[in-house]
Amino acid sequence: MKKKAYIKADEAETSMGVFKGLEVRIGQIIDDEWDEPMGPTPMPGPTTLRSWDHKLLTKYTASYMPYCQVCCLCTMGKCDLSGDKRGACGLDMRGQQGRIVLAAANIGCSAHLAHSRHLIDYLIEEYGPRTRLIQGPGTEIHAPVSRLVTGMRPRTLEDASIILDYCETQLAHTLSATSTGQEGSWMDFESKVFHVGMIDQLSMEIADLAQVSTLGMPQADPDAPLVESGIGMIDTNKAVILTIGHNIIPAASITDYVTEKGLYDQVEVGGMCCTAWDMTRRDQKAKVIGPISWQLRYVRSGQADVVVVDEQCVRTDIVSEAKKVSTPVISTSDKAVMGLPDRSDDPVDSIIEELVSGKIPGAYISDHHKVGIIATRVALAVKPARRRKRFFPSAKKIQQLAQDCKKCMECVRACPNDQNVQEAVLAAQTGNMELLREVYNNCIGCVRCESACPNDYALHSWMAAVSQDSFKNETHVVRTGRGAVQDTEIRRVGQPIVFGEIPGIVAHVGCANYPGGGKDVHDMAEEFAKRRFIIVTSGCAAISAGHVKDENGQSIYERRSGEFDAGCVVNMGSCVANSHIAGAAIKIAAIFAKRNLRGNYAEIADYIHNRVGAVGISWGAMSQKAVAIAAGFWRLGVPVIVGPHGSKYRRMFLGRADRDRDWIVYDARTGERMYTAPGPEHLFYAAETVAEANVLTAKLCIRPNDTAKGRSIKLSHYVDLHERYMGFFPEDVWKYIRRNNDIPITLKDKILAQMKENKWKERPIPDPTMLKEQIFTGGEK
Amino acid sequence: MSFDDLPIEIGVIYEGERVRGKDMFVELGGPKMDKKFELAIARDMNEIEDEKITIIGPDLKDMEEGSYHPFAIVVEVAGKDVEPDLEGVIERRIHEYVNFVEGMMHLNQRYDIWIRLSKKSFEEGFNTLEYLGKVLVRLFKTEMNIIEKIQVTFVTDEAEVAARYDDAINRYNERDARARGLTDAEVDTFYGCSLCQSFAPTHVCTITPQRYANCGAISWFDGRAAARVDPKGPLYAIPKGDTIDDYRGEYTGVNQIYTEKSLGKVNEVSLYSAFDKPHTSCGCFEAIAFVIPEVDGLGVVHRDFKGETVNGLPFSSMADSTAGGRQVPGFHGISIEYMRSPKFLQVDGGWNRIVWLPDSIKERILEFIPEELRDKIPTENDVMTIPDLKAFLKSKSHPVVERWVEIEEEEDMSVPVSTDADGAVAVPGEFTAMVGGVGGGLEIVFKNARIYAEKVIIRRKGTGDKKK
Repeated sequence: MKKKAYIKADEAETSMGVFKGLEVRIGQIIDDEWDEPMGPTPMPGPTTLRSWDHKLLTKYTASYMPYCQVCCLCTMGKCDLSGDKRGACGLDMRGQQGRIVLAAANIGCSAHLAHSRHLIDYLIEEYGPRTRLIQGPGTEIHAPVSRLVTGMRPRTLEDASIILDYCETQLAHTLSATSTGQEGSWMDFESKVFHVGMIDQLSMEIADLAQVSTLGMPQADPDAPLVESGIGMIDTNKAVILTIGHNIIPAASITDYVTEKGLYDQVEVGGMCCTAWDMTRRDQKAKVIGPISWQLRYVRSGQADVVVVDEQCVRTDIVSEAKKVSTPVISTSDKAVMGLPDRSDDPVDSIIEELVSGKIPGAYISDHHKVGIIATRVALAVKPARRRKRFFPSAKKIQQLAQDCKKCMECVRACPNDQNVQEAVLAAQTGNMELLREVYNNCIGCVRCESACPNDYALHSWMAAVSQDSFKNETHVVRTGRGAVQDTEIRRVGQPIVFGEIPGIVAHVGCANYPGGGKDVHDMAEEFAKRRFIIVTSGCAAISAGHVKDENGQSIYERRSGEFDAGCVVNMGSCVANSHIAGAAIKIAAIFAKRNLRGNYAEIADYIHNRVGAVGISWGAMSQKAVAIAAGFWRLGVPVIVGPHGSKYRRMFLGRADRDRDWIVYDARTGERMYTAPGPEHLFYAAETVAEANVLTAKLCIRPNDTAKGRSIKLSHYVDLHERYMGFFPEDVWKYIRRNNDIPITLKDKILAQMKENKWKERPIPDPTMLKEQIFTGGEK
Repeated sequence: MSFDDLPIEIGVIYEGERVRGKDMFVELGGPKMDKKFELAIARDMNEIEDEKITIIGPDLKDMEEGSYHPFAIVVEVAGKDVEPDLEGVIERRIHEYVNFVEGMMHLNQRYDIWIRLSKKSFEEGFNTLEYLGKVLVRLFKTEMNIIEKIQVTFVTDEAEVAARYDDAINRYNERDARARGLTDAEVDTFYGCSLCQSFAPTHVCTITPQRYANCGAISWFDGRAAARVDPKGPLYAIPKGDTIDDYRGEYTGVNQIYTEKSLGKVNEVSLYSAFDKPHTSCGCFEAIAFVIPEVDGLGVVHRDFKGETVNGLPFSSMADSTAGGRQVPGFHGISIEYMRSPKFLQVDGGWNRIVWLPDSIKERILEFIPEELRDKIPTENDVMTIPDLKAFLKSKSHPVVERWVEIEEEEDMSVPVSTDADGAVAVPGEFTAMVGGVGGGLEIVFKNARIYAEKVIIRRKGTGDKKK
């Protein structure tokens, strides 16, 4: 869009004449080779899509669950906002909640956007601005989110940079709205949450597109390689480098160095969180160690000889934790320097020497090229001595220390998962370590129990120390991130999606704030894959899903296909690859209905919301980034379910099944207003249990546009899961029957009885839209 | 209808279930058995004892765990609207319904069936084929209201399966011959499908005996059965009306349905042409017939073909130009079955016009390609560029080559445009430059461009006839 050109010629001979000392400056070069007409909203501003947002927010009202009743953001406060009170600035409780959510979404978006900006700037520096962006074979519609939002087809890193300019401007606007004395309406706050969510999705797409294009990662590859994962896969006979975070560049410097020097027989490079995925996407000798919640247990085990952190989701006490086990830390991102001395410009040898000798606990090295050599050489140097040490306390020592427990219950109160830590400690007094192991299995590694303990017990270390057997059993094989979905795959599943043979697309994404090591995520994915839904995963959820073995010792990725098709479980990649999940939904509209994507957001969102049975699940959503990611899906009309801790996001978007007027759509063919069933019933829901989430997942795949077969299959799953998990036949099935053919054949008796009881009447299936302008006759009728 | 009297559950949710070897109680039919089949037969009302279930040979409870057995399923049906033409449609439902049974897997059809029952379902009490019979009887009767009477026979006795086998094969062959032999001219009703309208709103699929639905999933018989079973459903009868042009496949009834269902966006269709008033293309067509203007022929590519075709474009790019329920001359969505039809693009020259197709399709439909053309149509193994394609077609004397002469002559008649660049006129405010000599080349428009030149020297370059 805003590409600039500057031409200078000492002498130019043209048909018009000869120009000497010619200089031409052009403010804008428009890509007019693209014959797709520009839609109504290229590069929308914060209010451009407001009317679409308000449609969704009217249908799915924000139900706020304030986390705290006061506001203390300015010096006029703090202000009590309980009841119908307003703060000194005039804001009420609803507005304040919307404002806090907007602040969170902005924080989340800024993390992805800054990550994206860092990548683009770095890659332009390395490869040049004209480097082509390639999503992979069969991706004719590459960068669907960019096309939809900006009206641009980003074809080079330079284009990507222009798109990020736009994102940065939008972020500044939406963040500014949270300032005291700006926005005042909850709905407008939430509309901006949607806006920044969309910007987040765009910046993630750019980040992944850029890294996939330049760094040798799988490109839209259904056969993305299988890689090793889990603590037990790490060979401690080698020097171990642990990378943590979300940015491939420093980690790439390590794996490149190890490869170049042929050191993989002496060095293990393992990753946690998204860096693990991006690293294994480009180098299959690297390994995934575990999700974000594994950080402390692994660092404290002392297995890592060097810890390299980049950005996002890194424990902020990583330096002091690593110090306890004498592991040097290298920080590499300007966003997470971690108090370490800046040694970026020093000679490599001197840095290595100081790290090996322990003179400094770690170093900040902003020059990514140096990270590989330093991390590798330090790891190799410190390893022999480290292997002779023991880092976890012995069972005997634990039993001895446990005797002094004050039984104050502070550890239990501090535990976010309500684990009975104290009981485990008391059992340890008698030498019974079973309860500690149990707590370990449900532990997310937050160590709030340790902070609370008046005896300063290293409780997390105790749990981990007695659970080292399960360390060894953590040997999994997982499929690394494939990147985008191919157009051809979308085309193949399109018909069964239309016909209802594939009842929905379920995405498991986000953080690992769940107990039980994420077995729940695996079980949910398996439950729906078995039912021939399309399952996609990303980020830490993708790691957890792969960390459960079946009776044949296989992971879900080994037994299920990586092709985007019924019954698949497909790992898209790191968190920034979430954009490809949205991209797949967007491409369904482009491929099947031939809808134009270019700058045409509202129409496509309306299409997806009414037709594509997709549901996002972030079972362990923890961060502000998860808010931003969810918001990107909300604006596309895709419902999102979060786990029990998700209620701390302060609100849900709930539909009102009892209010018929909320479920009226236009029939695009006639312009008539028609009632449809409440589907999808909610836009954002925090589920308390796996059972609840499973039932809701099936239900939220229902769309007004379902064909009769599709509706009957979706209802079959809903009824079956409801009976299985809730123990009884759901009472609202009749609402979803439009014509007799919608009734699942094996459930006819019960449903017919329910229909009769509720005085059901047949109704037509509309060609549904919430947008008046989408009516064929122009909405005149 | 209820299945509460059965020991296991029945439901759509079990459709995708796989029973692996080690979980299986018995295997019926399958690759280890020589003879196996399933068959639906339309009977007269008085020939059937309604809801009777017969088992010939050992029942499930008499079988050993982990054993393999020959197997036949015979479903006999009767009803006022049940006719032999619908046997195939009814028969294919057996696959679907058996799969609804918890712990039962059914693969393939006809003489290729492969069924497994899981140990778990057997242990839960599914120990007789009687139960499977009940499932089939109840589902057929509720789902296909045209079936008034039904009886089901299971055969596990080897000799009895063998004895009935030849009759089954004969019936399949006769059915196929009847289906392939049926022509569009012989019937007075076609069927329309608007299932894809939920995605592509102006698309209407016209399904005739000689033109399968674009998706390859619905034959004329399927359409006929579906329209009868659910008259208000997405598949409906299209009365042919008057024949406007038999050769081109133009019918008043078809045109009328298009006008109605596409809300006036599409009003005329020639069923057998990819160029002139072509049939609309949804989004789920199995293949595309695409024009290759350089050789005046059509290539075909199917959706499973990865990579580029002879014109440098992959399926996905061309699909993009084809889809959306529009009539796009030269980019035409088709089913693979349609390529087996004698009507296949007959207006455009049929097989004589096909100049490229992927090897895997060519193999599948080889016997339907006229014999004299079989080596004349190249695949990705022969040519992958237009110049190579041209050379290939010429060397093999592909019939399309005859068309070239006319075109080359036409080209000669067109006078080259003057390349005299001095004829360009500078327009104030907007400056347009054409780059490259080809039509449709790159156009750069400078808007509000300011050019600062320190000095502009205009010098006369000799004299001549440049002035126009």
